[in-house]
Amino acid sequence: MKMGRILLACLLLASILTACGNNGENAGKVKLEFFQNKPEAKGSFDKLVAKFNASHPGIQVTQVNPPDAETVLKTRVVKNDIPDVIGMGATDTYSILAKSDIFADLTQSKLVEAIDPNYIKMLKDVTGLSKITGIPYATNANGIMYNKDIFKQLGLSVPKTWDELIATAQKVKDSGIIPFYFTYKDDWQTNLPFNALAPNLVGIDFFKQRRENQVTFQEKFREVAEKQLKLLDYGHGDNFGKTYADGNRAFARGESAMYIQGSWAIPEIRKSNPKANIGFFPFPTGNDPDKNKLISGVDTLLTISESTQHKKESEEFIAFLLEPDNIGQYIQEQTAFSAVKGVTQNDPAVAELEPYFKAGRVVDFADHYIPAAVQLNAIVQGFLQNRNIDAYLKTLDTEWDKVQSRK
Amino acid sequence: MSKRLTAYYWMTVPAVVLFFVFMTLPALQGIYYSFTNWNGFGKHYDFIGFRNYANLFTDSNVGNAYLFTFKFAIVVTILINVLSLLIALGLNARIKARNFFRGIYFLPNILSVLIVGYIFNYLFSNVFTIWGQNLGIHAFSTNILGNENLAWIGVVIVAVWQGIAFNTILYLAGLQTIPASLYEASNLDGASRWQEFWRITFPLISPFFTINMVLAMKNSLMVFDQIVALTNGGPGRATQSISHLIYIGGFQGGEFAYQSANSVIYFIVIAIISILQLKFLQGRESDM
Repeated sequence: MKMGRILLACLLLASILTACGNNGENAGKVKLEFFQNKPEAKGSFDKLVAKFNASHPGIQVTQVNPPDAETVLKTRVVKNDIPDVIGMGATDTYSILAKSDIFADLTQSKLVEAIDPNYIKMLKDVTGLSKITGIPYATNANGIMYNKDIFKQLGLSVPKTWDELIATAQKVKDSGIIPFYFTYKDDWQTNLPFNALAPNLVGIDFFKQRRENQVTFQEKFREVAEKQLKLLDYGHGDNFGKTYADGNRAFARGESAMYIQGSWAIPEIRKSNPKANIGFFPFPTGNDPDKNKLISGVDTLLTISESTQHKKESEEFIAFLLEPDNIGQYIQEQTAFSAVKGVTQNDPAVAELEPYFKAGRVVDFADHYIPAAVQLNAIVQGFLQNRNIDAYLKTLDTEWDKVQSRK
Repeated sequence: MSKRLTAYYWMTVPAVVLFFVFMTLPALQGIYYSFTNWNGFGKHYDFIGFRNYANLFTDSNVGNAYLFTFKFAIVVTILINVLSLLIALGLNARIKARNFFRGIYFLPNILSVLIVGYIFNYLFSNVFTIWGQNLGIHAFSTNILGNENLAWIGVVIVAVWQGIAFNTILYLAGLQTIPASLYEASNLDGASRWQEFWRITFPLISPFFTINMVLAMKNSLMVFDQIVALTNGGPGRATQSISHLIYIGGFQGGEFAYQSANSVIYFIVIAIISILQLKFLQGRESDM
């Protein structure tokens, strides 16, 4: 008994001593919490944070990456315990938080200078604010992936217009191969064609006008709806039974010629088949190839809390992440694209998209402008099942109005 | 206060306090927020009176969720009770390896709903479809969870498969309270098995029937986990239950106050149904 107590005391003492040791090492350092929402990017950010801590002896950055990060962030905002630096997507959540003034105003910051103005404008459009509260970091692309081997075998070329796309799909179908591998069991997947068609055929301005009740979906979205339905003719036997994960596996194995998807799926596809010979082209939505824009949104933006004690150090950390070497490493690992001017993505799978980025021919995802409470995903999934265009457009209008009136 | 009473207070008060802090207080807060336009975070909100409640009654998504939930709850309650009573009768008979079978039938109850849901999700998309194709049945050669008209059946199958376990145990306990002498007497009188069941077994386990009906109904009215794991309310809104709508709209959609109003209404509905069920079924018990 006595022995046990002495042992316990020794252990306690030892633990106190080691704790002191840690404190001594970090004393006088500014501690920053870096909170980010992408579980896929945890490893990449860990490397960059380690590099930063090594080269900045006065600052100690710690990365926090909880599951369901957006909800965690919301609860921390309620508790007034906001992380110093936050990395998140330019989503409806970001917009709501920005409007609640929890992020620092970075309009005058030097950080903005390095960023492609297209993406700065996107953030302003999403939040509807004139001040800049987030620095776009990595961006993504939504388009059509294709299997280069199948295209070569069938003698197909990359379609540039909607008619060519349908003709290509028809040829693939005639040869007995699945043209598009749809993964519509997951409702967010049904949205990908919508996100490409709406900004190109109707335009992002529609959503601003919709907020002011100047236009309706019923007037403007018939063509979008018809094209959404047309694509279903070129799926497989069980379009609504397969999930995103099923689709990544199937496309990696070469089961379909094309795959309407975002660039975020490329690392997943390569996990299933590292040798998958894939290419990526923008969704051809209309019949004038010069007017067609690539859909690209802000996948990660960096922002500083308004209430942080260490604004200067936080800016220093963001400036470090924006350095061409560091963001270059990040986008290479994540197959993402850079919001910093002059940093390009050299992955052969997405090489065809580079000209669009260079020329600034990009436009944001449509659903970033639709309030989350409208539940667009469920509406689109329901429409593709019952194929009733009139009811679909009417639902979009009534749901939008209902959400507006409940605010 | 006598010493004996103190002991009883020690047994009951902590539970009451815990229940109040973790259940009653949040419920009262929910009622409070249902009269505001709070989005779930941030400091700004206004009181808007009964506007959330008025909007609820014109929201077709709410009506749709109620319709699905009640259809689902009624079918599941009936199936669970019929099947678990049959299984309990079998497990109560003098069969070989009786304890082994009792263990097997109880197994689904100790598995997490989410795990069961995800396993079935995989089966529905990758295993049952192959069986359907091999058997040449068109309706089953595609994932039924991806079909607007059939998806709810998939959810029913999973809910029943798992729900049976607990109700079987309750029925089994009920069956063991019936004295064997009653069956001996009925045997002497030459009663058939059918008569035996309706005249002796069923009336004597009627308190268990009541509680099983109420529990199964209440659990299936609050169905949530199975939906998240299997369909996430889809396709479209075909399998969206009320709990799921409250969660999705309140947390993802940022309409916390509006969905709080929805939960208040739903709380009242469930309370009324449970009271009616208890009244009706207990009245029946005393008639028997």
